[in-house]
Amino acid sequence: MKYAQLIRLLVNRELTLRYKRSVIGIGWTLLNPMLTSFVLWVVFSFVFASRLPGTQQYAPYLMAGILLITFFSQGVTICAESIASNGPVLTKIYVPPQVFPISTALAGLVNFFIGMIPLTIVCLISGQSIAWTIPLVLVVGICLALLTAGIGLSLSILYIRFDDSRNIVNVFLMILMYFTPVFYPISILSERLQILVSYNPLSSYLDVFRWAFSNNATATLFDWGYMISTSLISIAIGTYVFKKYWPRTVAML
Amino acid sequence: MAVIEVKNVNVTYRVLMNKSGSLKELFRDALKGKARVVDYVALQDVSFSVDKGEVVAILGRNGAGKSTLLKVLAGVLPPTKGTSKVNGKIAPMIELGAGFHPEMTGAENVLFYSALMGREVRSVKERTPAIGEWAGVTDHMDFPLRTFSSGMVARLAFATATDEHSDVLLVDEVLSVGDSDFQAKSKARIQEIINNGAAVVLVSHDMSAVRELATRAIWLENGHVKMIGNPQEVVAAYEAN
Repeated sequence: MKYAQLIRLLVNRELTLRYKRSVIGIGWTLLNPMLTSFVLWVVFSFVFASRLPGTQQYAPYLMAGILLITFFSQGVTICAESIASNGPVLTKIYVPPQVFPISTALAGLVNFFIGMIPLTIVCLISGQSIAWTIPLVLVVGICLALLTAGIGLSLSILYIRFDDSRNIVNVFLMILMYFTPVFYPISILSERLQILVSYNPLSSYLDVFRWAFSNNATATLFDWGYMISTSLISIAIGTYVFKKYWPRTVAML
Repeated sequence: MAVIEVKNVNVTYRVLMNKSGSLKELFRDALKGKARVVDYVALQDVSFSVDKGEVVAILGRNGAGKSTLLKVLAGVLPPTKGTSKVNGKIAPMIELGAGFHPEMTGAENVLFYSALMGREVRSVKERTPAIGEWAGVTDHMDFPLRTFSSGMVARLAFATATDEHSDVLLVDEVLSVGDSDFQAKSKARIQEIINNGAAVVLVSHDMSAVRELATRAIWLENGHVKMIGNPQEVVAAYEAN
């Protein structure tokens, strides 16, 4: 593909640029989820650690949640912004605009995998071993990248057309995070809330991820089906919406 | 065969009356029935073709549709009606350095800009030192672009855009880049590209440059072609207007 080289350069730029002026550079990708998880662990472990069933451990439970939700929220926001922020290029040189959101999603995927290094350490420290199902996290990562890119593509059109959609999206992402069992076990919720949370696709992604990584949750067949179908639907809607509205939107850049 | 072929191109923007880009206001206006969509015609029935080795200058006041036409030619903006066909590689030199990033080094930016134009990354990598040298920024190539002066950025962008052979050159007011030495150098390079058989579309307010370089001129007014033909005549008519 003609634009594969461009995508590679873009992913590279995305990964390194954020920490260009910092001393340890890309090391922050390792450190960031650890620090966030540590703070949340200090705050919540007293409340939630004892509520996890069986042999599940709170520290890796929390950190897996942080990694996944960061990938999703950051991915969606940056993806959606990528078209608008590359407007000066897109209005002058012809490149398929989709390369920007796609590169962002891929960079998020790489960050997600890098984040699994500290997650492995945390797992081992808390006495868990890495499950033999670990290759399946690749599926989780790909599904998440598709979900993120799909939502990002649709939102990028909205972002260009309406400035204030950014704020609405941010609030929505925050609500979504609280409706995902990132730092609490789902069992602490009332039955009605539990049903609501289980309808959130991200809960299924998270279940599968925690299960595949260190057998730290139970993943049902429904979770798998929900994860894969939502990711495919998302990317299908995203590419369709983008294709349909882009010709009219590019004039607004 | 014509390198550029534009046939009956129309571009209409749909604009919201009282557009303010806010969902709240759109909602409020929609409730009051005040939201009206108006078609703004940016280009109307524009047709022309450019052959190999031709230099076509586009004249017109601000808002006449020059930039829109360049966007259509670059393939960035699909025309609402009509067709625009470009056979061959395009080197857009519209607002040089649009793809540049201040935190990346000069060399990285050259690579990135070239990849945006669809060039082969490996061959550009080999050419990077030569590009830097031509632009006169060899010593700075490994520093972030934010440490460059604006003249240096423009020179590097010009050097990158013109480094590889292209069939079509889209030029938007960039002949006045850098000091007089560099201006002479860049004019010579454009001349060389023209001699090599590229087609050039030039947007400029600099009438002497148009008279000097162009082989044909198009005068746009309010989105339609007011006059097309010999540059001396078109410029004279345009200036008399």
